Amino acid sequence: MASRVVTVERPPRLRAVDTMGPLLIVRGLLVTARHFFRNLFAFMRGRRTIATILYPEEKMAWSPAMRGMPVLVQMENGKERCVACGLCEWACPVDCITIYPAETADEIERYPEIFDIDMSRCMFCGFCEEACPEEAIVMSQRVAIATTEWRGSLWHKRDLLVPVHELDPRLRYIRRGYDRPDVPTPAQTAERLEKR
Amino acid sequence: MDAGPTNPSLTNDLHTQPMEIQMGPSHPSTHGTVKITLKLDGERILDSEVEVGYLHRGFEKECESGEWYQAIPYTDRLNYASPMINNVGYCLAAEKLFGVEAPPRAQYLRTIASELSRMADHFTCIGASALELAALTPFLYCVQAREQIYDLHESLCGARVTTNYVRIGGLQSDLQPGFAELCREKVAAALTLFGDVDELLTKNPIFRERMEGTGTLPADALIAYGVTGPLLRAAGVGFDVRRAEPYLVYDRLDFEVPVGSRGDNYDRYLVRFEELRQSARIIEQALRDLPDGPVDLDDPRFRWPAKGKVFNRMEELIDQFKLVTEGMRPPAGEVYQAVEGANGELGFYLVSNGTGKPWKCRCRAPSFSNTQALRDMIQGALLADVVPTFDMVNMIGGECDR
Amino acid sequence: MSDGEQAPSAAPAAEPAVLARLRVRFPDAIVGTHAYRGDATAEITPAALLDVCTFLRDDPGLRFDFLADVTAVDYLGSMPRFELVYHLRSIVQGHRVRVKTRVSEESPRVASVTSVWRGANWLERETYDMYGIVFEGHPDLRRIYLYEEFQGYPLRKDYPKEKRQPLVTVRDVAPEQGERTVAREQQRYGRWPD
Repeated sequence: MASRVVTVERPPRLRAVDTMGPLLIVRGLLVTARHFFRNLFAFMRGRRTIATILYPEEKMAWSPAMRGMPVLVQMENGKERCVACGLCEWACPVDCITIYPAETADEIERYPEIFDIDMSRCMFCGFCEEACPEEAIVMSQRVAIATTEWRGSLWHKRDLLVPVHELDPRLRYIRRGYDRPDVPTPAQTAERLEKR
Repeated sequence: MDAGPTNPSLTNDLHTQPMEIQMGPSHPSTHGTVKITLKLDGERILDSEVEVGYLHRGFEKECESGEWYQAIPYTDRLNYASPMINNVGYCLAAEKLFGVEAPPRAQYLRTIASELSRMADHFTCIGASALELAALTPFLYCVQAREQIYDLHESLCGARVTTNYVRIGGLQSDLQPGFAELCREKVAAALTLFGDVDELLTKNPIFRERMEGTGTLPADALIAYGVTGPLLRAAGVGFDVRRAEPYLVYDRLDFEVPVGSRGDNYDRYLVRFEELRQSARIIEQALRDLPDGPVDLDDPRFRWPAKGKVFNRMEELIDQFKLVTEGMRPPAGEVYQAVEGANGELGFYLVSNGTGKPWKCRCRAPSFSNTQALRDMIQGALLADVVPTFDMVNMIGGECDR
Repeated sequence: MSDGEQAPSAAPAAEPAVLARLRVRFPDAIVGTHAYRGDATAEITPAALLDVCTFLRDDPGLRFDFLADVTAVDYLGSMPRFELVYHLRSIVQGHRVRVKTRVSEESPRVASVTSVWRGANWLERETYDMYGIVFEGHPDLRRIYLYEEFQGYPLRKDYPKEKRQPLVTVRDVAPEQGERTVAREQQRYGRWPD
């Protein structure tokens, strides 16, 4: 261990000439000017290099892994995929999900009559998505959840339903991991899910 | 303290008394919610009292009321500048308690994630320090460099700060394709930006005047206070948990532990600076050696089963239901696991009574002990020295107050 | 709880060197030892705490110069209710030990180790704040995270997580210099409903 410890090198003590103003300013200015001109030329060529995003006009390009707010998957027939098993409710560390199950005569006989998420408590941890055995609740790329009154942050089922084609990038992302031994391929899984 | 006025003839008849001023809790030049009550004689600090607790959120109580896995998102919020290291520390402690070990690929990925977070923390610390010493540009460059690291966080786990990436017995997800290239590119970009910060700060006389010789404490006093991390290393003690008690794959990687010679704020800055480069080296080596294979433990007692199996098989579906609702059940017992956080030894002490919930989940936060030593570091110094000393202590409110 | 899981102490051959040394030096003070998952742990009587800690720090073969952590565990229901836990490490020699001692609910008092390690100051204040354990000989035993008016000790197992505390308002910086403003503010704005 001792050999791996290195003492950091301290730059030599300051000389009087180092502390003189103009030299210093020039040295600092060279760095900032380099940034300035690089950003300027890049801007003129149409390839911006600055990190700032002009928010409402521009949106950040998220990675497919991005976890935004949790939403419910709405199948092509307009119904939710959720079967109200309640696992997301259990898994949620902050208890922000409320589900009241109900039954229908459809092929999938259980559905959530009430599915509320209190977005003022939700911390986007993604445990609901990981716990869900039906791929019914997924983390979307939506992040704009601000409201002007606190009741607005209680999202009901009709607000949370998002058509499945809009969630395609996320679904493809979370289906990556299915290619494991003894597991059907993503296509097969998807086909099976669609068949239901 | 002999900090009296220098010319007694002028002040003999003058009635003076020490002045008490409050610095904080939200002072523009302290990047953390802490209140320092200073007793001043002119500019000199006679005495001070550091008061913490403005960000206390009951971390331990929350952890005790949830399942074992539900504590992981809360650990993100301890040291929010280096969330991955907290995730890793908690999960390693839990794995030690459960008696399991994550697969090699997960170990390497955790190492990469930890070092990325360490870089993010040091960028924050150095950038904010420069800002508080009235240098705005290095702060902007540091934040831009940190954004590169956060991009990598996002690619790993989908969140930039509140990562929730590491799981007990595995990871939230495997890498996205092309991560290695993205990682090399972003780390290189961050280091390039940091080269500019180096040019602006390291040899800058104003910066050096304020950093050099301030905030010094001898190494034995630091150890007695329980100070660890860059602060202790700057005083010449080469204690680094990664080297002293290697966890994950640190014993297989080649890196150096930088130490300082004088222990002043400037040494602390230089040590952090060097650690950034070492972190980049570690990431490069870990990416090179990254093995293939699963990232999750295939053990339905501890790790949620793979999603594909949950959809298609009854047993795994039952496992999933049992694990989510009852939680994983470790044997009764207690463990302490330390990892090298960005500010020092980050330890988790877990006590289990054999149920799905932690009986006790204690976090040994480096910032807490480090902040405690602040009073001695600024004793007898000038008021202006509080700012660089506090910056280099790098008290992170979420971690200190939990 | 941890009692049930302790390795049988009748196996001193496998005992870590630290514990063997402690056992030789303090035969009467050691209540039990174990090394669960490799963490050397010694449970001692509370009366011997200060002596054991001083010995652990000063003994040339041990040199536990670094107090990593002080905390307590509330074993609600078992007889000495609280357990104080000290995590020590030797920076020089690189080993760790955990020292534990039990104190009862009726008199949760134990000697402070601030004279041994300066860093124990805040850690003990935190333990006092969260568990109400009084450290005798502590130079400045006050609440550290919570405010003075806080009722109860939040990390005790019988403290409900959802319990609300009355809000406190402005407080005089120097309370001895005048009557406290809390009452005045409460008069003006009313009390928070309990």
